[in-house]
Amino acid sequence: MDFINGENIALVLFFIGIYGVIARRNIVKSIISIGIMDSAVILFFLTINNSVDSVPPVGNPVSNMADPLPQALMITAIVIGVSITAMSMAMFIYLYHKYGTTNWKKARLKRMENKIQ
Amino acid sequence: MILYFFIAVPVFSATLIYLVSFRYAKITAILIQTALFAASVHTFLKVRSTGEIVATLGGWESVAGITLKADSISVVFLMLTTFLFLAYLIFGLIEDYADNLFIFLFIVLQSLIATIFLSNDLFNIYLVVEVSTMLVAVLIMFKKDSRSIYDGLIYLLTNIVAMGFFLFGIGYMYKIFGVLNISTITQMIENNPDIAGSLYMPFALLITGAGLKCAIMPLFSWLPKAHGTPSAPSIVSAVLSGLYVKGGIYLFIRIRDMFLPAINVDGYFLVIGIVTAVGGIILALLQKDIKLILAYSTISQLGLIMMGLTMGSYYSYWGAILHIFNHAVFKSALFMSAGLIVKEFKTRNIYKIKGVLYRMPIVSIAAFMAMLGITGAPLFNGSISKYFLQGGTPGDIMQIVLVVVNFGTILLFIDYSRMFFGKISEKKTTMSIIRQLTVLVMGIICFLGGIQGFVINRLFFDIGLEIDYMSYTTKMLVYIASIVIGFIVHNFVIKKSLFITRGYSLELSFNNVCLTIFLFFMATLIVVGFT
Repeated sequence: MDFINGENIALVLFFIGIYGVIARRNIVKSIISIGIMDSAVILFFLTINNSVDSVPPVGNPVSNMADPLPQALMITAIVIGVSITAMSMAMFIYLYHKYGTTNWKKARLKRMENKIQ
Repeated sequence: MILYFFIAVPVFSATLIYLVSFRYAKITAILIQTALFAASVHTFLKVRSTGEIVATLGGWESVAGITLKADSISVVFLMLTTFLFLAYLIFGLIEDYADNLFIFLFIVLQSLIATIFLSNDLFNIYLVVEVSTMLVAVLIMFKKDSRSIYDGLIYLLTNIVAMGFFLFGIGYMYKIFGVLNISTITQMIENNPDIAGSLYMPFALLITGAGLKCAIMPLFSWLPKAHGTPSAPSIVSAVLSGLYVKGGIYLFIRIRDMFLPAINVDGYFLVIGIVTAVGGIILALLQKDIKLILAYSTISQLGLIMMGLTMGSYYSYWGAILHIFNHAVFKSALFMSAGLIVKEFKTRNIYKIKGVLYRMPIVSIAAFMAMLGITGAPLFNGSISKYFLQGGTPGDIMQIVLVVVNFGTILLFIDYSRMFFGKISEKKTTMSIIRQLTVLVMGIICFLGGIQGFVINRLFFDIGLEIDYMSYTTKMLVYIASIVIGFIVHNFVIKKSLFITRGYSLELSFNNVCLTIFLFFMATLIVVGFT
């Protein structure tokens, strides 16, 4: 069962997210799928170059220290991901008030109705 | 040390202006911007005299810390950024919508673009691109029109999906190399090119992210929406088309150069560049909205730049880099003049605007200079970069392709120039003279960049590209012939609407854009795997 590790699961999750943004017409589901892609990348970063017996990089660990850099990077990525979700949800709410739909296809048709003056 | 200022000063000064919001806020912003431009010129001179500047944050050694690097290319882009933002600020601050929040967002965007050009750390680049994407989305829909909300949402989400690929690629790079510093990774790949097999996946992931940012052919459909959205302020359109999209091209150059010892798929990108250049022109000819015409023309020029970068010759590579620089100037001038014209005539439909030359003479002269620049007229800046682009083409086929692309550009701008002539109304414009003069200065720079092109080339990039006057004359004759044929084709085909229907727009929905991103990724992976 060696192939069930963080990296491969992250890869699968990432492509599940891609499937979501390609196949789902619902705007909210698209935003959720982007969140799934984000989580997949975070999982990937946290499990690369990591072994089970490594110790946390706190204080003065003697050896076998876990790599602290991906974790530091991922805190930043999580913050960015949260703000992106918040922002796209806010934009979606505004769009919903204007167009009254949660469907990409209908929103696109409404957008194309607006001819140039 | 000075490199930090280009990132910190705009952020802090913009925050201060936003919070304090005193009366002279706009003047202060312009003064600070002028100081930044002066500082960038100083940095440029320093880099030219003493070589590249590297600054590491927090005093770590360069492999561990986040490094900023100003080499001979990036410092020129830095100078371009500060100069163009100065011009945009002078141009845009009189607008009604330019309140303190707008100034804040706009100036912070400058700091982020400068960081894209300066940063030497992959993850740092990812962060900056992601944050600037959000900022740009806010700026696109700043006027809260329902169309621009839709465009902003599409822009934001497609770019976020592509940057997800980019971040995944960074993860692979970290797994393989254990560092994120671009210079170090380049050295590691150079020293040991056998690891190419493990680099296919990260290369495809990273290039997908960068490819969407520079709007190459299957991935372009967000660009016209973002750059040409009806209610976006015209300086936002100008900064997006003139400068921000160059960040994507710059990213592409960095990633391509980083992988070059191990992975070389220039032929693939050459084909994509040709398709982008030709397709952009065809789509531009189908539009009747001024801003959309300019946006599609940006796509075509980006394809031209992509062709130059991947043709594999020294001449065309530097020609393409010079063309990035020139394109920033004339596309900014075109978008700014288009903004003024739209404001004056209160319509964006190119068929309804007539007699601009009489009503707004200064703006028209500026627009004509920019149009001569973009079509590569002799003595204008576009001719120099296009000359170098053609100078290094291998074989006759590429020559013909380049002439065809340039002919398409000429045809497009002959069609674009129809709005300057025609019906003469008695009214003269009452537009602020400062804004008209700003546009005029941009137009004059197009001209100066042409007659001083060789000087600028040597000054900016320190490359000894010589011009052969014999072949330059040939290029001039080809240009004049193209103009003549362009007029004929325009009169007999386009004016009579043979073969084409105007107002067609290629609107991919969000799902289809994501599908093209995925297909591009798979195609790149397959091409990389088989070469």
